[in-house]
Amino acid sequence: MNNTLDIKRFGKVLRRDGLNFFPNLILSLAILWAIPVVIYLFTSLMPTDGTKNVFDAFGRINIIETLTKIAIIIAPARLYQYCNDSRKGIGYAMLPASTLEKFLSMVIYCVIVTPIVYVAGALAIDSILALFNGPYEGFAATYYFNEFAQIDSSIANHDVAGLLDDTWPIFVKNLSPTFLRILSLLGLLTLSSIFMFGNMIFKKRKTGKMIGILILLAIIIMIISINYVANNEALIEYFNQINENNVTEFIERMIFIWMNVALYTEIIVSALLLFGVYRKIKTQKY
Amino acid sequence: MIKINNLDFAYKNTQVFKNISLEFPKGNIYGLLGENGVGKTTLLKLICGLQKPQHGSVTVDGLIPSERQPQFLQNVYFLPEEVITEDTTPEKFVQKIGVFYPRYDFALFNQLMKELEVDLSKKFNELSHGQKKKALLACAMSLQTDYLFLDEPTNGLDIPSKALFRKVISQYCSDDTTVIISTHQVKDVENLIDPIVILDRDDVLLNASFAEIIDKIYFEYGPERLQNAYYTEMLPGGYINVMPNTEHLESNVNIEALFNAVMKNKETIKNLMK
Repeated sequence: MNNTLDIKRFGKVLRRDGLNFFPNLILSLAILWAIPVVIYLFTSLMPTDGTKNVFDAFGRINIIETLTKIAIIIAPARLYQYCNDSRKGIGYAMLPASTLEKFLSMVIYCVIVTPIVYVAGALAIDSILALFNGPYEGFAATYYFNEFAQIDSSIANHDVAGLLDDTWPIFVKNLSPTFLRILSLLGLLTLSSIFMFGNMIFKKRKTGKMIGILILLAIIIMIISINYVANNEALIEYFNQINENNVTEFIERMIFIWMNVALYTEIIVSALLLFGVYRKIKTQKY
Repeated sequence: MIKINNLDFAYKNTQVFKNISLEFPKGNIYGLLGENGVGKTTLLKLICGLQKPQHGSVTVDGLIPSERQPQFLQNVYFLPEEVITEDTTPEKFVQKIGVFYPRYDFALFNQLMKELEVDLSKKFNELSHGQKKKALLACAMSLQTDYLFLDEPTNGLDIPSKALFRKVISQYCSDDTTVIISTHQVKDVENLIDPIVILDRDDVLLNASFAEIIDKIYFEYGPERLQNAYYTEMLPGGYINVMPNTEHLESNVNIEALFNAVMKNKETIKNLMK
């Protein structure tokens, strides 16, 4: 018997988790699906100066993306709420499947299924609302999958090699739509892995505690960064040289640096947290 | 076979087991007895892999439970004391988990539900506490695992249900199945369990079959309290005296009296049964 990964058994784990998916998450998703409807009604009922209130498709895509992130944040605690509970988690721990199978199933439902189900539902609702002669003009679904290709700024497809010297460990040479899409998906993976990890280490108020930790971390990183910049004379000297002639180049440079840092950080953070989730599933005591 | 060797286990600052060794050969219904808080549930959790020994080892058929390998998990089922159910019917629940167990038998589940007099159509949350317990017992037994661990299974059951519980356990557990029933309500498992394991804080006071017990301990029912008895208890119509069986007389084991005798004469009976 393969005690690490057996496809047939993995299928059973996926089926079991799938049976729990809708009963546990549907209410939360329904609330998130209702938000664009509320916005639609609110926009429709807002007083106008005679012209029709319009909420364009790109604006709605941003809302759907934000709500998708919220769905990803709440999914682990809704779907696997009791997996580390000393009493209610016994059934999960004793389920005859390997740690890897349970882990992969958790990742599939939290990282892949949840956003897909939410986005599909949200785009379907948006399309139905767009059929009426209301404030929703255009179909968000038409643009959603092509979103990054629509970016038309000075930074898109810009070659970065000339902007940074050789000492920078540049992974990304240009900000192509493909790269931006990968970075966006990686961001969702990181977000999900953060809250999956929080779900495994906290017993109660899992999502809230994890958000608290993230806020605390952000404050600490901000303080350290400000302190670093304020005490680094070379950086201050560099900032002083910024003028209206080179400000665009500076901004582009900062964006590229930030994108590279984000890429590395997201890969490392996701990998570490997902490993942490795996270890917790394997070693959790009940 | 379950083997426990030189096991040490503690929760933070509370030592539960210190260097205990035990063996549970296959095919018996063990009664794991002990006062509240001696570690009966903890021992079951260690055998199930829900806890990990700090020192020593626990193996079940050569496998290490704390590794929680599917090969191990598909052969064990642990029914905790606390009734924890999902918002579904027992039927759907057992179908959901049953696919993971190679010998799962849905027909047996239906039969057990009928024998235990549990309504099949109702959801768990529509059942009473005792009904839920019986439904979960039917689920557990229909999985037909080699090892079945029941933690205080009769808590919350009414008198007829306790009798039904004893009936289905003795009737439906195959000769190869090892059942460990942890309880402090010894009367509920009388005539069901054999051998008996009595735990004390940090220690195993008794691990013996009924045959071994009556070979060394004599249960005398009589009109008077005997001076050399390990333990004496007044019963309607007389006394039960638990005594050393020096003359190899035959008697019937009274588990409650035995338990009390062991608790009052820990070292004496432990040495006697060695």
